[in-house]
Amino acid sequence: MSTPELAIHDLHMQIDDKPILKGLSLTVKGGEIHAIMGPNGTGKTSLAQTLMGHPRYTVTKGQVTLDGDDITVMRTDERARRGLFLAMQYPSEISGVTTANFLRAAINARRGEGNNISLKEFRDRLDEAMRFLDMDPKFANRYLNEGFSGGEKKRNEILQMLMLKPRIAILDEIDSGLDIDAIKVVGKGVNSLKGPDFGALIITHYQRILDYVKPDVVHIMVDGRIVKSGNANLAAELDKKGYEWVRNELAKSAGQA
Amino acid sequence: MAETLTTATEDTFREWIQSRAAIEPQWVQERRLAAAEASLRLDWPKLERTPLKKRKLDQISLFPHHSLQPVKSMEPTGAQLSVRWTGGDTVEVSLPESLAERGLVLRPLKDALNFEPVQQYLGTLIGDQDDKITALNAALWTAGTYLYVPPHLPEPIAISLEIDLDAEETALFSRNIVVVGQGSRVLITERLTGDGGHDRMLFSHNSEVFLEAGASVQFGCIQQCPDRVEGFIHRQAQIQNDAHLEWLIGEFGAGLLVGDHVTHLKAPGASTKSITVFFGTGQQHQDFTARSFHHAPYTKSDMVARGVMKGRSRSVFTGLTQIDQGARGSDGRQKEQTLMLSEEARADAIPSLLIDERDVYAAHAASAGPVDKGAIFYLTSRGLTEKEAERMIVHGFLAPVIDGIPIEGLRAEAWQAVERKITHD
Repeated sequence: MSTPELAIHDLHMQIDDKPILKGLSLTVKGGEIHAIMGPNGTGKTSLAQTLMGHPRYTVTKGQVTLDGDDITVMRTDERARRGLFLAMQYPSEISGVTTANFLRAAINARRGEGNNISLKEFRDRLDEAMRFLDMDPKFANRYLNEGFSGGEKKRNEILQMLMLKPRIAILDEIDSGLDIDAIKVVGKGVNSLKGPDFGALIITHYQRILDYVKPDVVHIMVDGRIVKSGNANLAAELDKKGYEWVRNELAKSAGQA
Repeated sequence: MAETLTTATEDTFREWIQSRAAIEPQWVQERRLAAAEASLRLDWPKLERTPLKKRKLDQISLFPHHSLQPVKSMEPTGAQLSVRWTGGDTVEVSLPESLAERGLVLRPLKDALNFEPVQQYLGTLIGDQDDKITALNAALWTAGTYLYVPPHLPEPIAISLEIDLDAEETALFSRNIVVVGQGSRVLITERLTGDGGHDRMLFSHNSEVFLEAGASVQFGCIQQCPDRVEGFIHRQAQIQNDAHLEWLIGEFGAGLLVGDHVTHLKAPGASTKSITVFFGTGQQHQDFTARSFHHAPYTKSDMVARGVMKGRSRSVFTGLTQIDQGARGSDGRQKEQTLMLSEEARADAIPSLLIDERDVYAAHAASAGPVDKGAIFYLTSRGLTEKEAERMIVHGFLAPVIDGIPIEGLRAEAWQAVERKITHD
């Protein structure tokens, strides 16, 4: 398959008449890791959910394409089957459905009718992925996220990402509530997929996770827009100077205009 | 006779009842006549959330066809224990000879009347004249099974009871009597089914179950009647010392279903567990009541119900756990949960505890809520269609209860019924 490309152009989105995204543009290609940083309430999670097609959000202007195809008209499951993945900030708990059974159904949903993964192949891949992520094999037979700690849920998201092998992954605050060991595991998971067939958009509040997943591009998002983009150094600078610095810069340039 | 409750008189009933005089004892005839008179006088059951008046049940043709000859094929036939009714009248019975020789009785109730101590049990748990429907059943019953299991059988006995509703009939009244002697173990699987037919049908099915000391019974029932059925299913049990009864109930069919199961724990050590799974689709209306009565110390009850409501269906589940004064050391629990898959579906779960004794454990929990939209988004974000996601959530919701059904065949049938309801209705 060709190198993936997720292109967001001038995206406007609102919830119940309230504008949240106000002309956001960025492009993630295979082989690239992008990070979006920004203060709370700036629309980062809304962006992630909009890209995945959450019904609550209405796109009012702009385009989102995956490999050139407009995905804003697609249902969430279609986007997923085309290779988009969202590791959620607050994954749902699904009672009565084991992680293993769910993953198998999700893998089969991508493979199409009559081409189901064999139980043996599935088990082998699952065992390997869980070992890689230092997960207790018992997790596979526990109900999906039910009674999981915050850290366990995030690890489970990464496990799903490894099993589903997306082409573009969006990781929404995957580092929140994690201790440093867990962040390392998350980093290991993302890095293992790195390559021309995989691109990632890491949404985060803190610079910490970027010590373990080196971004190629860092974007700063304020008030529903990307206001500044740069290389990995931008994240370090932001960490040092704080979001106030970005706001002041913005105010200055607005004054000049 | 195409008479309905609107057109029928006492004479209509009398004529129908007396036509059976040749095949049943005098006491049965007298009970039927008294119940007939009561059925014209009494009201339909009063259910707070299920107004029966609107359903115009008294416009359904009432008097079932019935053969005036006793059933002939009563020879023990097969290796399995089973009674199969097709329509209200035709019955096949299968009972291994070896078990018959050891005193096990399995026969249509109407044929047991002259040979077995039916009078001792019939109507002692479910009254003949509680309301219009119990009175109609007592007056007009034709189908149903009498089962007596002698005490101390070393091996567990598995029995299948089937009623397949006749497409031509518009009324069927049936009743089961089950008596299990000391220390014996019985596993009953009852199936209520029926295909075809257009006219509405009144179906009333009552089971009275008696467990002697130390007996153990699993009573499974899967109800998949057609939509045209207006069903009333009553089940009552009385349990002696250290006996254990499990109700395993799957309610899937019938346009209207008023169902209850009631257990009287009569002596120390008696225990009961009940699992009810229900699934409503389309316009189905289901009204369930479950009651556990602790009349003696050290008795135990555990009631679990889970339901899924789809389309414009409607359910009510009312649970009652009652612990009498003096029933110290008893333990009564109940938990009811309903999941609604559409905005138009409605479900009520109404738990209650009535405790007159201090030294007991009692707990209840109930919930009824819509399917979690966030969960649907989560599952679809992994590539499952919305339909698959919904099915997965329903499976997950019902799995803890259906997988708790200890009878393998019944468990599989319950899953099949769920699958059909999810995909087709």
